[in-house]
Amino acid sequence: MKYVLIRLLRSVLTLVIVVTVVFLLMRMMPIEGYFGASFDKLDEAQKTAKLENLGLLDPWYIQLKNFYNDLIKGDFGESITYRPKVAITKILGEKLITSLRFGMASLGISLVVGLSLGVLMARYKGKFWDKLGTCYVVGANAVPVVIYYLLIQVFFTQIFNLPLLYDKTDPKSWILPVFCLSLVNIAYYAMWIRRYMVDELNKDYVRLARAKGLKNKEIMIRHVMRNAFVPMAQYLPASILYTVSGSIYVESLFSIPGTGGLLVTAIQRQDNTLVQALVLLYSSIGIIGLMLGDILMATFDPRIKLGNEGGSR
Amino acid sequence: MAQKTIEEIINSEVILSVEDLVIKFNLRGKELTAIRGASLDLHKGESLAIVGESGSGKSVFNKSFMGLLDANGRIESGSIIYKGQDLSKYKTEDEWIKIRGKEIAMVFQDPMTSLNPLKTVGKQVQESIELHQNLKGEEAKKLAIEILNDVGITEPERRYKQYPHEFSGGMRQRVVIAIAVACNPNILICDEPTTALDVTIQAQILQLLKNLQDKYDLTIIYITHDLGVVANVADRIAVMYAGDIIELGSSEEVFFDPKHPYTWALLSSLPQLGIKGEALYSIKGTPPNLFKEIKGDAFAPRNPHALKIDFVERPPYFEVSPTHKARTWLLDSRSPKVEPPLLIKKMQEMGAKRGDIID
Repeated sequence: MKYVLIRLLRSVLTLVIVVTVVFLLMRMMPIEGYFGASFDKLDEAQKTAKLENLGLLDPWYIQLKNFYNDLIKGDFGESITYRPKVAITKILGEKLITSLRFGMASLGISLVVGLSLGVLMARYKGKFWDKLGTCYVVGANAVPVVIYYLLIQVFFTQIFNLPLLYDKTDPKSWILPVFCLSLVNIAYYAMWIRRYMVDELNKDYVRLARAKGLKNKEIMIRHVMRNAFVPMAQYLPASILYTVSGSIYVESLFSIPGTGGLLVTAIQRQDNTLVQALVLLYSSIGIIGLMLGDILMATFDPRIKLGNEGGSR
Repeated sequence: MAQKTIEEIINSEVILSVEDLVIKFNLRGKELTAIRGASLDLHKGESLAIVGESGSGKSVFNKSFMGLLDANGRIESGSIIYKGQDLSKYKTEDEWIKIRGKEIAMVFQDPMTSLNPLKTVGKQVQESIELHQNLKGEEAKKLAIEILNDVGITEPERRYKQYPHEFSGGMRQRVVIAIAVACNPNILICDEPTTALDVTIQAQILQLLKNLQDKYDLTIIYITHDLGVVANVADRIAVMYAGDIIELGSSEEVFFDPKHPYTWALLSSLPQLGIKGEALYSIKGTPPNLFKEIKGDAFAPRNPHALKIDFVERPPYFEVSPTHKARTWLLDSRSPKVEPPLLIKKMQEMGAKRGDIID
């Protein structure tokens, strides 16, 4: 518990540093971004007035102080250029939930299908199922996603008569985006669980388990699967949390109003407040995800001791 | 503890009988003959040591009794008779499950990796009990704790709940032994049980195995290349070379009156027999290539006493005594008299005085 507390405090410190650096970097960018297409049409006085209005002419430390003051009150400010005058929390709230829903649906499917496929591949290593699975894993990783996303969109809409674009009111419009999102993830989980299982299967304790009269199936279920899952457990919480960051391809292809690519857009359009909020969010997710991963792994593996009690590895 | 006499052993029933066993492996598209027609009778209650250098086939030989050969290996011919069943004909997992653990159990070399790191020690012992002794839950747990106690683990109730990483190497080997014993087997195969342990622990583990042998009525096969281990525990010794048993006899016969030139060479290289200031004896050359068919005596190319016939025809077993036989033409009545090396003669003299050579 003490360990978790110290880790949390350190995380907060990390967040402050990350956000401050990003905050300062945004202030170092040229000012064109704040004006968009109208930049050439405005005269100096108008530009200065706008900048002044946004509080951008104050010394940087004043700006920073104001930012943190608002942040402590839970106020992320308003968007500057992306959707001017709209509260950041409102913009993000809707988008995050949309991306999260798609992400979680796909993650759930990927875990179930991917892990099953990987276990099957490890079980029949070198045989037909393994080879077929390997083809899929290599294919999913080697072919640029855009290519088969497009093919899926074109053909599946025709064959199964599914809607082309996302529609909030039509549950059928979920199928293709979730399917696309899952394809790569399934390959990812199948590949790693297979790899860890094959590692485990070659270990001496499996030999001992066989020598004492356990059936292959029992060895797989009672010994190998759990042990193989431990190294994957570390990344699971982060994967779950990262679903909120959305997928740039799938979301633009099916016109889903999610967070995919939002950070890039926000930086290009120099929407300082939006960038700061996103950076804060994504960094928190990364840090919390890793921490949860470590805790999860420690609960699975008795050799791992959190904190300074001194693990034996 | 009363050591059984060699006569008692020879007269007790044969529990496992291996006849002309040939085991082949497919390796990189080629065929390797790991076991070349080895035969062996294992008697109930005995401790048999199988000695030989790395690659002589001693592990493969024993693994074949439990169907634990690697996937590229197979029994080409011969038989392994256990309780009237020919194990060499077993193919499916269902058949082997009846043998593994329940009839024949095994202790492996490296206790550091032989246990599942994520399961408590107690649960791993209990698993054997639940598999083979028809006990469940609390009863099985009670027996597991009892067996942990039997293998010399103090405070077994507390240790039951601990994980392997909380145990030292010697303690882990005790747990591995407990797992094997918990299967309640007839035969226990110990594959280099002390190789990974330091010397003080080695003696303890060997003593433990001896004690368990009495208590649980076990027949034990020790696989080892450490002749010191053999001298301590074995009733009989089988010397393996290039996939065949070339000499078999009681411990005393093999140590003090060896007949095969390979056994001579092996014993001559014992560090205990070395003379201070002189280089330790080592066997020249390398073991034969098992990818090729071996003609005659496999040891002939490295044997300074080799006869012409050694390169042509494989020697049969010559009986030295009812309990001692060796596969060497030197024992044929027509062959010239060859004196064993000096060191071996020294051993023979020591044997006559019944001195203890090891330790």
